[in-house]
This record gives sequence, C-alpha cells and structure tokens, in this order.
Amino acid sequence: MTWLTWRQHRKQFLFAIIGLAVLAAVLVPTGRSQYRAFDGSGLAACLRTMGETIDYRLADTDCHEPLERFSAEYSGDFAPAVLLIFLPLLVGLFFGAPMVAREVERGTHRLVWTQGTTRLRWAVTKFGLVGAGALLLAAAYAALASWWLYPIAVAHAGRFDYLAFDVQGIAPVGYTVFTVALGTFAGTVWQKVLPAMALTLVGFVGARVAVELARPNFLPPVERRFPVVAYTFPNPMLSDWILDRNVYDASGQVIVPGGDVFCDPPCPEYDPAAYNVHLYQPAGRFWLFQFIEAGLFVALAASLLALAVYRVRRRIA
Amino acid sequence: MSTAFETNGLGKRYGRTWALRDCSLRVPAGRIAALVGPNGAGKSTLLHLVVGLLRPDAGTVQVLGETPAANRALLDRVGFVAQDAPLYRDFTATDLLTMCGKLNRRWDAALARERLGHLRIPFDRPVGKLSGGQRAQVALTLALAKRPELLLLDEPVAGLDPLARREFLQTLMGSVAEEGTTVVLSSHLLGDLERVCDYLILLQAAHVQVLGSVDDLLAGHRVLIGPRRAEAKVPGSVVHASHTDKQSTLLVRTNGQPIHDPAWTVHSVTLEDLVLAYLADASAGALPGPVGIEVTR
Repeated sequence: MTWLTWRQHRKQFLFAIIGLAVLAAVLVPTGRSQYRAFDGSGLAACLRTMGETIDYRLADTDCHEPLERFSAEYSGDFAPAVLLIFLPLLVGLFFGAPMVAREVERGTHRLVWTQGTTRLRWAVTKFGLVGAGALLLAAAYAALASWWLYPIAVAHAGRFDYLAFDVQGIAPVGYTVFTVALGTFAGTVWQKVLPAMALTLVGFVGARVAVELARPNFLPPVERRFPVVAYTFPNPMLSDWILDRNVYDASGQVIVPGGDVFCDPPCPEYDPAAYNVHLYQPAGRFWLFQFIEAGLFVALAASLLALAVYRVRRRIA
Repeated sequence: MSTAFETNGLGKRYGRTWALRDCSLRVPAGRIAALVGPNGAGKSTLLHLVVGLLRPDAGTVQVLGETPAANRALLDRVGFVAQDAPLYRDFTATDLLTMCGKLNRRWDAALARERLGHLRIPFDRPVGKLSGGQRAQVALTLALAKRPELLLLDEPVAGLDPLARREFLQTLMGSVAEEGTTVVLSSHLLGDLERVCDYLILLQAAHVQVLGSVDDLLAGHRVLIGPRRAEAKVPGSVVHASHTDKQSTLLVRTNGQPIHDPAWTVHSVTLEDLVLAYLADASAGALPGPVGIEVTR
C-alpha cells in the first residue's frame, strides 16, 4: 500500500515541492532585505526593549523614529500574504479532492479494493501518507511565511490581526490538514473530481469565515481602562488585538465611539475624568490562540477523515 | 459437488429501486458460468455482491464458504475484473504487477510476466496507451496471477472487436482449464459466451430467471414446429410461442418428457434460442427449485 500510494502521488508531491521552491525563491530574498531594514532601522532593537506603556515625557518609548525609517522602505504591503491564505486551499484541492473521487470516477477503486487488502487498510495508508505529506508541506510554508511576515506584522497591525494571524504559526498547518480531509470526504460524497473540488472550496471558505468570526471569543477578552488626560498610555506596538475601543466621560457616557484619545496634560478639550476602555486579546495569547485555531481545524479534519473512511468501507462500490 | 458461491434471497437496493431482488442461486465449483441478461438486469450488482464491493440489503451470499464483505482472506482467493477493465492508466504493466504483488499474499509473479510476454504486451508503456484488447488482457492477467479459485469477469469483452473477443476468451480458457478455476462471465450478449460456458445464470429485471447447467437446460427444452393452433397441448410448459399464418413455433420446457404428438416436428434448441425465448417473456422461468442453506434473518 505504501508503494502504491507513493507511485500514485509522487507526481503531485514533486509539483508541490517545485511550488514550494518557487515560493521560497520569492520570499527568501524579499524577507532578507526586510530583515536588513528591520535591524538597520533600529526597529528590531527598539521593540525588544520597549515597555508595556509609553510615556510622552520620555524620548521615543513607542519606537516612532525607527518605525518611520522602516516604513520608508516597507510600507506594510500585505498583498503577498493574501496569496499565502490560499495555499492550504490549493493543497486541499489537489491532494484531498482527487484522493477518492478520481478512483471512483475512473473505476479503479474496483481494481484496488478487490486485491488482497481491506478498504480500511487502503484508506488509512493512503489518507495517512498523503495527509502526512501535506502536513510537512504546510509546516514548510507556514515556517517560511511566519519568518517572512514577522517584521511587517509587528511594525504595523500586529501579529494578531486578521490576515497576519492566518498565515503564521501553526494555524496554516491546521487549515491544510483540514482542507485535505475535507477534499477527501467531499470525494466520497460526490464521487467526481471537479464537484469534489467545488465542495472543498465552498467548505473551506465556510469553515474559515465561521472560525474567523468566532476567534475573538476563543477566550473572554480582557478590559483595560486608562485616562484620556495623562502622560502614559498602553504601548500600541505590543501587538495586542484590540477588539473594541471607546472613550467615556466621567458619567459613563460614550463620547468617542470606536476610538481612543490620548491627550498630554494640561488638556482643555477633555474632562480630566474621561477615560478610554479597550476590550482586547493580549499579545501574549498569540500562541494560545494559534493552538486553539489549529486544534479546532485538526479536530474537524479528524472527524471528516473518520467519515470518509466509513463511506469508503460502507457506502461506495 | 462443492459450491463456488451461493446466494439466498439476496437483494440490493439503490434508494427505492431494487437492483437485485430475492436472488437465490448456487454455482458449483469448476463451472464456467455465463451471467446473462439485458442491461440493468442486475448482473454487475450480483458480481459486486459476490466480490464484496457491495453489502447485501437482504438475504445472504456465501463465497467459497465465506461471507465476502470486508473479507481479506477471501479476496486473496477471488479474482475480479470490473466492467471496462479499470486500470491506473499512467501505470506501466510492470507497475501494475508490482502493485498487485504487494497487495496480494497469493501472487504468481512468474505467471503474470510470462502471460504478458506471451501476449507481447509492452511492460514499460503506460497502460493508458495500450489498445482496449491489450488493456483487457492486462486486467485479466492481474486477476489470474492471484491463482484465484473463483474468477469473476464483468463484461470482459464488451469493448473489444470480434477478433479480440475470440482471442480473449481463448486465452482465458487456456489459463483456467488446468487449474479448475470457477469462472463467471457476464455479458448482455450470449453470442460471446456460448462457446465457452457450461453453466447459465439468466437475470432479468433484478430477478434470476433461468439457472442451470447448459447441458441440462438444452436437454430439458425443445423447439416444436407444427400447424398453427390456438391452444397447443404439449407436455411441459411453453416458454415462448411465435406464429405465422400457417404454423406455430413453440419453445417448450419438456423436462425430458418425450413428445408423442406426430403433428409436431421436434428440434433441439440452441442456447441462444433458449435465452432469447426467456428474455422475451419475463414471467417464464426455469429454476432448479429452492437451493441449499436456510435463509437466516
């Protein structure tokens, strides 16, 4: 079975390796120059030493100047990251969807399932090996993307932001395993390659959007209050994921919805009792959220694969 | 005589439609059985149930004394070539032999290579580039190299030209003759199988209509030709009657009773006449009575 799986999928795997090499050829040089600017501008060193709060009476506690220098070279262009979002989908479409669908479409399941092996063994070996291949591939591009994106992400919206979160860490590995499982399952339901691919596409988008909407509530957000009129404020460069921000007056009325205000004393425009409220997920929860996200998708993948194995054993002939 | 496979009240349903219903039959070991019936009669369904690709919705099926579903030990002993002889088209013959060698515990690699070599089938070309006849031969070779006790072939010659059909069946018979392998060949045309088969299973509209050894069936039926009569009194039962203005031609199941009425000229039947007569009338049937094991529910 191992030999057969390798013989059937070696071409796909080779193409995937070529694709990965092309990706690396783009990301490695651009990443290196990004890191040169990141270090050269002093931003990297500044971010390492900055505190929880900034103080406007002290010089540059929010890394403003190195950030200006870095941004002059890298304006926070996330466009390539949008493409990275779709890598798990590509793997799912081309590794997952044809896994069962192509066999049934061409009738070869009747050849292989009538040899001296069980369908359970066939399914477990094939799904397992192709899945493991996809997982390695995903680990490779996730590592590459995490490394590449890090400077831009911390310099701008933060690693927790939509788009940045989705292409870094272990989340893309979870998405990939999920999409391969989804494709495999889709192929056992609609036993033709193209419709199975279409189901995979729809399922991927649906699951990703649903989890994206749920993510802010993986854990209850933390609330912080701080005065508008002050010299010190929470450091905005910490990569906290701020879900909601409002400014209240002393009586608890919202005076600036959806924003925050910092004002050096003396500040005639604002009541000294006015305060900001942030609802946020602290930057320190980044990896915890990565594990929750990846775990969720891996659990979905496991259920889909179990269903796919059931359908292979009982529902297809 | 031992049994190659036996079904009892076997049924398979797709949604609300029964593809095969109340199918009870027994094929003795060592036979070359023709599984005949119009398209959609349930031939493939029956073969898939026997080889364990499908699980029954009703009744039982016993193959070489075992239940076929998810039975790896049995799959070692049964060779199967599905309709259209599916193969991985980008695999070479060598790849396919390697694959089957790895998947089967009972595998005669020498036999497979020798057979393909003898048929002059190239080993190193993707099988997708071979002719239909060659592909069918490769598929048959893969099944034969398991040295199966039971070989099931689903419309093996359907896509082949007449010469390739004859060659395919000849090489098949050459291969199974020594081993005493039981073979079941399905076809919607009897013509292909008539020369090689000694057992007949006729399916029509999801039911078994005729079952038995070809010799017994031929001995048990006669064609009677005589002057036209509205109600013919003949021993046995009339399977099919056709009339012209002057004469009637009856195909009669005599069960060996002699015909004494001098008005009739008695002829023996060919297998093809017999099959066509039964196919023309779905209500007629020739079954050897209840078979074998009790149905357990």
